[in-house]
Amino acid sequence: MVIFVLILGVTTATVLTGMDALTRERIEENQLIVLQDAILEASGITDYDDTISTFEANLEVIEAEGKTFYIDGEGRVSYTFEGLGVWGPIFGVITLEADFETIAWITVIDQEETPGLGGVVEERTYLDNYVGTSMYPELRVSRTADADDINEVDAIAGGTRTSERFEAMLNEAYQAHRDVWLTLQESAGDA
Amino acid sequence: MNFIRMKYTKWFNISKDGLSKNNPIMIAVLGICSALAITNQVENALAMGAGVTFVIVGSSAVISIIRNFIPARLRMVTYMVVISSFVILVQMFLEAYFPFIFAALGPYLGLIITNCIVMGRAEAFASKNPIRYTLVDGLANGLGYTYVLVLISIVREALAFGTILNIRVMPEAWTDWVVMAIAPGGFFVLGAIIWIFRELTNNYENA
Repeated sequence: MVIFVLILGVTTATVLTGMDALTRERIEENQLIVLQDAILEASGITDYDDTISTFEANLEVIEAEGKTFYIDGEGRVSYTFEGLGVWGPIFGVITLEADFETIAWITVIDQEETPGLGGVVEERTYLDNYVGTSMYPELRVSRTADADDINEVDAIAGGTRTSERFEAMLNEAYQAHRDVWLTLQESAGDA
Repeated sequence: MNFIRMKYTKWFNISKDGLSKNNPIMIAVLGICSALAITNQVENALAMGAGVTFVIVGSSAVISIIRNFIPARLRMVTYMVVISSFVILVQMFLEAYFPFIFAALGPYLGLIITNCIVMGRAEAFASKNPIRYTLVDGLANGLGYTYVLVLISIVREALAFGTILNIRVMPEAWTDWVVMAIAPGGFFVLGAIIWIFRELTNNYENA
């Protein structure tokens, strides 16, 4: 019986490790392409064949203090954000105008919220509401959003808890990236 | 003549069992979670059907080959290890080569492991039969699952999005039924399909 378990374990482990080795590179490349597609879309570049080369030609990548910034030709800055939604992690990329305050574009790449309710968070029609609002000093996702207030965005109908968490993760990522970004700008100014 | 003779072969009966007489979804009512969750688009139903078919055929075949070596006390554990290995293979393959389908199927792909059909075939058939019949049985059950999924998804996608395989079939003025895109819509369609199928095949459960 022990021998059977050992053989079973070793065989399946070998098969799976082999498959992992075969596919890992492609999987990582796919994930990179999804992220780069989102950033390119934010920069208004949608007509291209090869994502990776187009991305390299059009965007500048700056890494500082563990944060990565993607800067396009017009000075817009993108960075990724992640956090816990209601049912699972939410991962996405946000693009800010050159002032590092106004939202130019948001894409949610991964989410596991309730389809039709919180799941709306990944829909383009919903995320379009964020365009033009300001992350500074703080973004507010509210059920009674005031259209004239540049810091307020409508919450998802039927997805209140998803909206709250989304708001929190956007603000948290913004604060963390803002400090690094300002330091970067200062040092660039000094030089 | 040939057809009549074929009717009495074991191959034919095993296939018929999986496809209609003991169809995993419509008669045995197994694998319902996934049948509700991923049937709002035909494309996803096809991918899920192919994935489940592959897992059933693969895991049944392996279990059938090693059936005489499996210690009785470790039966279930062995099934789980074999089935999960196959599911992970499918998952890696789709993530590497079909990332969009992988994203659409989401968590349900991993949940093939818990699909009762796979475990059911392993225990009820593969552990007792030689590999040549097991392959037929696995394929028949997998396809039996797939075609029901595709039927449901055709109805749901047409009503929910006005399309089939992303090709517009409904008139422009068509108003999408949101209910069909979410799980409750799946219940309605699945219930109706089971009812029609059982009515047509005169399958009644004894009270």
